[in-house]
Amino acid sequence: MAFLDNSGDIILDAVLTDLGRKRLAQGSFKISKFALGDDEVDYGLFNRNHPSGSSHFDLEIMQTPVLEAFTQTNANINYGLLSLTRSDLLYLPALKSNDLVSNSAKTTSSVYYLAVNSETAGKIKTGHSSSAYVLQSDQATDTAIYIESGLDTPNLTGDTSNRSSYIVNTNLLDSTFNLYADSRFIAALMSPSRTSTFSNKTDGTADINMTPLQAASATSTTPVLKNFNAFTAPGINNGVTFNSLISATTISVIAGPRGSVTALNFSVASELGATSTGTRSSMYDLYGSYDQTIFGGGEKYDYIDTTIYVEGGVSTARLQLPVRIIRYAGT
Amino acid sequence: MPVINFEPLDTTSDVTTTRTLLHEAIPLTGAIISGGAGDGALATYNNENIKNYTHGMFQSVYDYPYLSSSANHIFDITVGYDESSAFSGSASTQNSKKINMYNQFAQLLLGYTGSDNKVRLFESDLTLDQTGSMTSCFFLSLSRLLVKDQIKKGSYSMQIGTGSWGSPFITASGHPQTDMLKLQDLSASSTQGTVATVGGDYGLLYDTTASLTSRALGVIFYQAGVVILTSSIFDDMAAENANHPGISPAGTHGHYFFSGSPGDGEPHVRSVSGAFSGSVISASCDALRHRIYNLSFNNTTEINSTIYFCRVPHNKYNYSSNPTYTSGSQIRVKSVSTDEPVSYITTIGLYNASNELLATAKLSEPLKKTPTNEMTLRVRLDY
Repeated sequence: MAFLDNSGDIILDAVLTDLGRKRLAQGSFKISKFALGDDEVDYGLFNRNHPSGSSHFDLEIMQTPVLEAFTQTNANINYGLLSLTRSDLLYLPALKSNDLVSNSAKTTSSVYYLAVNSETAGKIKTGHSSSAYVLQSDQATDTAIYIESGLDTPNLTGDTSNRSSYIVNTNLLDSTFNLYADSRFIAALMSPSRTSTFSNKTDGTADINMTPLQAASATSTTPVLKNFNAFTAPGINNGVTFNSLISATTISVIAGPRGSVTALNFSVASELGATSTGTRSSMYDLYGSYDQTIFGGGEKYDYIDTTIYVEGGVSTARLQLPVRIIRYAGT
Repeated sequence: MPVINFEPLDTTSDVTTTRTLLHEAIPLTGAIISGGAGDGALATYNNENIKNYTHGMFQSVYDYPYLSSSANHIFDITVGYDESSAFSGSASTQNSKKINMYNQFAQLLLGYTGSDNKVRLFESDLTLDQTGSMTSCFFLSLSRLLVKDQIKKGSYSMQIGTGSWGSPFITASGHPQTDMLKLQDLSASSTQGTVATVGGDYGLLYDTTASLTSRALGVIFYQAGVVILTSSIFDDMAAENANHPGISPAGTHGHYFFSGSPGDGEPHVRSVSGAFSGSVISASCDALRHRIYNLSFNNTTEINSTIYFCRVPHNKYNYSSNPTYTSGSQIRVKSVSTDEPVSYITTIGLYNASNELLATAKLSEPLKKTPTNEMTLRVRLDY
């Protein structure tokens, strides 16, 4: 796509999307609402210290060249503008993955390993001498990916008062998390029950009980990405607060007031789960690699790399989780 | 990822429809039509731009060698006459095909009339009263690619050389022929000067080198994109003389409709009457193309538009979920909470009730949105 000519009056370049043309052909083309986006804009260019004053703060943003419209639905509004009623908000929640709590998953080279069966999980745990570096498909009580939502700023103390003022009372509490995962590889989501707890005690030690995780099927929400399914995970109240004895940041990765938290594991498609003596799925060849000695030595693995998108249900803050679905293939 | 902040569109107050007519000028030089090198260039028979068919009922004119994928079809050309024409007879070459061509155009564009349900004849007037009939005609059927929805009324013009065969447009001394015809539909407009028939509206093509009302030499069907010229255009140049036995004496100008070797094993000279009765269709088509100096018209594309007025209230869309909008959870465009939030609109997404993105519109530059302004973004979708 080319850039739009921005040398004169503001113009609008409008096109039907692929889906719009399909609906038109089906006779069900009916537009009923609109939304706004700003995907091209880099707000980092907003310069509050511009020497020419406030009228020049957004000079570079206003000069941002805008591409012509795409016809693919997933390439237009990935980050919509928000209609938050209050105009006095200074902070918006961010999502961060927590690798501090005891059974939280850790990444290997920035990737979460998701073992398709116990045989594979055992091999990787042995290699790392830790269970934190591998998720195992379908496991409800083992390692999980923890996602926190909150105001990640040192400017606000992470106490209950600020939590109420800056998150709850401003309607920015993510009571749910939306997840989007490739339906070819991920069959179900595993997430905590509403009765789970995530907080610290008065002595500053962790009081966390997020397991057992429960399996959840895909929702009816239509994801924008092709082949992707949408899932919903509950947001558990994040009760980790400032403690003078033990820093709250030994439990939580959010620097300021915390809103909610969830824990995630996944069930991979059954086709991918064969043991090393079973038949390898052709999907490893189609979408990934097979017989790779990725940890050195003589052990071979098959794997598929995918990305799971996590979104705050209210804040729409986003986080991408790179996941390697891995299977031990023998020696 | 799905958008979650939508604003409804009221179908009664936020949506409207319009109809716009878009016109393009279509100039066709004689070089394209004849295969020569410029306006008025002489035709090369059966050159690569011209496609003839084994059935011999018409020929197609392209703007480029027709075997090339780059070639565009410009128009088809044929000749025909009614059974009542003097040219009709069992001895005439391709007699039935010429009658068939005339009848096909006539029944399609004018339909049938009378108790015996006879096909109407083309007329050089707007009354369709069976007087002034054109019983032998040339037919130019212009391509949909050029005509689009219809030819703009009052825009058609074509010049035809009626000079000698060797120099139909320019005299021997290099001056333009005074008797070159300029056919235009000047009396036609969107409000008058046309007649509605089963084949759409038609107007008259006058020889504007003569008095406007005195000499209608053809008709043009605007929606069908068909131009019909009477063969009598070339009557007064009929000139098959004693040098060519069996052919009538020289006409007013002493010129031939065609001469030389127009292919198909035709005789070397023909008057237009001789061509219609004694030559194959493609020979007459070749001869007409040879004499077309230029041709131009404006086409019309009817654009139906739906306009969506996307009204953005002052208290909405002032924040963004763009990952760059915050730094450490703090909104970048604010220093303190009392600063007004700012967002910059670049994209408008139009959705159905199922949150499916059906259309998208991009602004040519970011548009600043704050709680102190409201705006209406006008998105037009053309069909």
